[in-house]
Amino acid sequence: MTVLQEPVQAAVWHALNHYAYRDAVFLAERLYAEVHSEEALFLLATCYYRSGKAYKAYHLLKGHSCTTPQCKYLLAKCCVELSKLAEGEQILTGGVLNKQKSQDDIVTEFGDSSCFTLALLGQIYCKTDRLAKGAECYQRSLSENPFLWSPFESLCQIGERPDPEQIFKLTSLQSFNAGSGGGAPTFPISPAHTPSHNMPHRQVDSVLMETPQDTLELNRLNLESSNSKYSSINTDSSMSYIDSSVISPDSAPLGTGGSLLSKQVQNKPKSGRCLLGGTATLSPLTPSFGILPLEPSPGDPSYLQNYSHSGTGMEPPPPPGPPKKTVSRISQVGTKSVFAQSGNSREVIPNPFNQTQTTAPQTSTTPQVLSPTIAAPPNVQPRRSSRLFTSASSTAKENSKKLKMKFPTKIPNRKTKTKTGKGGITPSSLNESIEILKLDSSMAEGKGNISSPQFQAFTLQKAAADGLMSLMRDIGRGYLALCSYNCREAINILSQLPAHHYNTGWVLGQIGRAHFELAEYMQAERIFSEVRRIESYRVEGMEIYSTTLWHLQKDVALSALSKDLTDMDKNSPEPWCVAGNCFSLQREHDIAIKFFTRAIQVDPSFAYAYTLLGHELVLTEELEKALGCFRNAIRLNKRHYNAWYGLGMIYYKQEKFNLAEIHFKKALSINPQSSVLLCHIGVVQHALKKSDHALETLNRAISIDPKNPLCKFHRASILFANEKYKAALQELEELKQIVPKESLVYFLIGKVYKKLGQTHLALMNFSWAMDLDPKGANNQIKEAIDKRYLPDDEEPVTPDDYPYYSTELEESQESSMTDADDTQLHTTESDEVL
Amino acid sequence: MATAAKTPPGADPKQLERTGTVREIGAQAVWSLSSCKPGFGVDQLRDDNLETYWQSDGSQPHLFRVLTRKTTVKMLCIYADYKSDESYTPSKISVRVGNNFHNLLELRQLEMVEPSGWIHIPLLDLVNNPIRTFMIQIAVLANHQNGRDTHMRQIKVYTPVEESSIGKFPRCTTVDFMMYRTIR
Repeated sequence: MTVLQEPVQAAVWHALNHYAYRDAVFLAERLYAEVHSEEALFLLATCYYRSGKAYKAYHLLKGHSCTTPQCKYLLAKCCVELSKLAEGEQILTGGVLNKQKSQDDIVTEFGDSSCFTLALLGQIYCKTDRLAKGAECYQRSLSENPFLWSPFESLCQIGERPDPEQIFKLTSLQSFNAGSGGGAPTFPISPAHTPSHNMPHRQVDSVLMETPQDTLELNRLNLESSNSKYSSINTDSSMSYIDSSVISPDSAPLGTGGSLLSKQVQNKPKSGRCLLGGTATLSPLTPSFGILPLEPSPGDPSYLQNYSHSGTGMEPPPPPGPPKKTVSRISQVGTKSVFAQSGNSREVIPNPFNQTQTTAPQTSTTPQVLSPTIAAPPNVQPRRSSRLFTSASSTAKENSKKLKMKFPTKIPNRKTKTKTGKGGITPSSLNESIEILKLDSSMAEGKGNISSPQFQAFTLQKAAADGLMSLMRDIGRGYLALCSYNCREAINILSQLPAHHYNTGWVLGQIGRAHFELAEYMQAERIFSEVRRIESYRVEGMEIYSTTLWHLQKDVALSALSKDLTDMDKNSPEPWCVAGNCFSLQREHDIAIKFFTRAIQVDPSFAYAYTLLGHELVLTEELEKALGCFRNAIRLNKRHYNAWYGLGMIYYKQEKFNLAEIHFKKALSINPQSSVLLCHIGVVQHALKKSDHALETLNRAISIDPKNPLCKFHRASILFANEKYKAALQELEELKQIVPKESLVYFLIGKVYKKLGQTHLALMNFSWAMDLDPKGANNQIKEAIDKRYLPDDEEPVTPDDYPYYSTELEESQESSMTDADDTQLHTTESDEVL
Repeated sequence: MATAAKTPPGADPKQLERTGTVREIGAQAVWSLSSCKPGFGVDQLRDDNLETYWQSDGSQPHLFRVLTRKTTVKMLCIYADYKSDESYTPSKISVRVGNNFHNLLELRQLEMVEPSGWIHIPLLDLVNNPIRTFMIQIAVLANHQNGRDTHMRQIKVYTPVEESSIGKFPRCTTVDFMMYRTIR
């Protein structure tokens, strides 16, 4: 049976690795019809899922029993995607009625994929409002695999404060235990497969030997662990082996770096795998990284030494030849591949790879037969040793240093991409590390000494992964600071990243967001336009950019952005939010509402779309609906302080000042350094007649952000209302310096002077105010002036009186006739008005 | 053959909307007509399309009513075009406001002579504030050439927008102030 399956499975993986989903699906369906095994079922479901039809995978898996962890994991993933959260949870933990599995149970059951399983479970818990359990799952997932970014991100977003220093470090975890640790649990799950694998491998290997391999495939194959771990997660290892030629970087992410590495090593010899039966998450990207493992040839002899040649009669690769090549190549690759964000290194590697292949099959089989644990370390050793011995130890060290340094560079690229991909991609960084390590190992000239090379190889691996970890720690600290709204600190931390990481879409996007939260819209706009320049395909974070442009009233830029994004991607909520903001700026609120509703339709879990919709509804005076929208946003994300602010604003409009204050304070508790929030709280407190508190709050606001002119303005108006005219005037004079063209400032100064009885100055200021704002405030200003001439109506002008001002012209015009002094002013005003 | 000056067309209300000083609130209201010909009813009156119109089908005066919760109304805009509607074009319009059908008070009476575009009717009370009302009734008392029925192409009702987000101040003029006005 397995013999029949193998070539078909290999073909399916081959097609999958080349994104030929229709072929893959067709073949998988035929295979499944022929052989109703769980392997085949899983393969078919994977094909459906990868081709974007999660519902097919769901129905397929649901209709048949799935007992293997990989099937369960895939089914749970489909459930979550189709929003069937309860079902997903039941699959993973046994549900509410049955005995619930604990996290340890899950870890043992799912083995290598337990980190992903736990992350998925965490997601389910968070979406169903069980944040504590979700946080636990995420923490556990991170402890299983520190290379995962998305659980960390989710933890930050729900308000937990995970410690990046603790999380992003390679402890005894899997890492360099030749992945055996990770693989071990899973391995037993399909022990039956292993023996069968051996045979096919050999056969396949021989077959594959002839075929020219893409470096890509080779890489992938290497990365892919022929491990049971891999098989547990992906399809059977047998499939992967069949594809020997294909190395998918995808496999790398499986499990921890260490295990991957070890697996890689194992895989390399196999080199048989054409198709990566890889992780669903990985895509065979960055082949450049994958190429590194090519230097097995030097290692080959060592392999051969270590393992009995059981392979097909592949002639032993000419050790002298390849080693030389590898040495040179390695240095080459070292420089290239490490940095090769583009697939440069790929070209370099092809040759050695072939050779690797030859040797691979032989060695590959052995690992297969043995448990991964046993296999891994020995595999690793020969590789490294050969490399280490060829070059002087110093060079090795240099290389390792280089690799170490370069490693972080590479990672970020992956990282940025992975960030956009939202998790699951971080493992790609592992690929890099793996590649580097492969590189090292390949260098080994088969010089024999296994013990120290082993150690050195281990050290090199560790160095590379450490580089990644330190980068992730920095980024983690920055992100954590941003999520707790310590924006200054976040900007500092993220700005200290190396330049090649700094200039990536994700990092700049976070920095832009930090500026946005600080209300520094100019800087935010600059940074976001840089993001657009670097990564024009990036949509995450663009909704913040659009709001920045809305604040700055840059309608041209905003409409251009809206057009670009909606043309590019109609299935994400961000472009629709941008379009909505664009129309909102044009004051077409009904159309803006339509766009925001569309954003919500596209992604019902995007909280910001609800907030924006709420704001639009407030502007169209549909306060009840707006309340509903803000509450929805809060339901999705309790830490969405914009929604709390929105609720506060609605209550303020309805003059429920107490409620308004409570909501503003809640928003402030989430984002304590927002001067706008403090300003609003100050005004509300003043409305509640707590003027002292109001002044205190405004003082605090000004101290946090001295550039916010509105705080000073409101402080001045409160002082004015409390009849502290001198202080108010002083405040306003300062404000005049900061914002010389704002008519409100002159308006308020005029009122103060009027109160003080200095009518000339008052009039002067009123006229200035009117000059600066022909429409809008015009009538209020006119009213203010008119009141002068109605001595009976001379009442204290408090902020509460403003709404009283009408928008009538005639009265002012008439009154203008009565006072010769003002005729001049009034006539000019009326001209402007008309 | 109008000896009086023709009523000049007013500005397109859309431009008014863009200034942000007014907002159209017709969508929040309930509209009713005294009579209409099938296919020429409220939808045609409110569809933003100047080609379609409401045609009345009863005796004069023809009425249409706008019913809302208590709203501040600043202005009413009517589109009328003598050239296309000729004898169907209204010539005398009366605007009445009040709480319900029974206590409407006439606010304004307006005479139009061969109108050819938007007519702006400001609705202001005695102290020249925008009125706050539950219901507005517009009565077409007479048509051009003494036509019996009337065509009304488009009607828009505007409320003033209070721009100030916080504090009862008039609008800010500079971007510097507006940036800090609100959190979005």
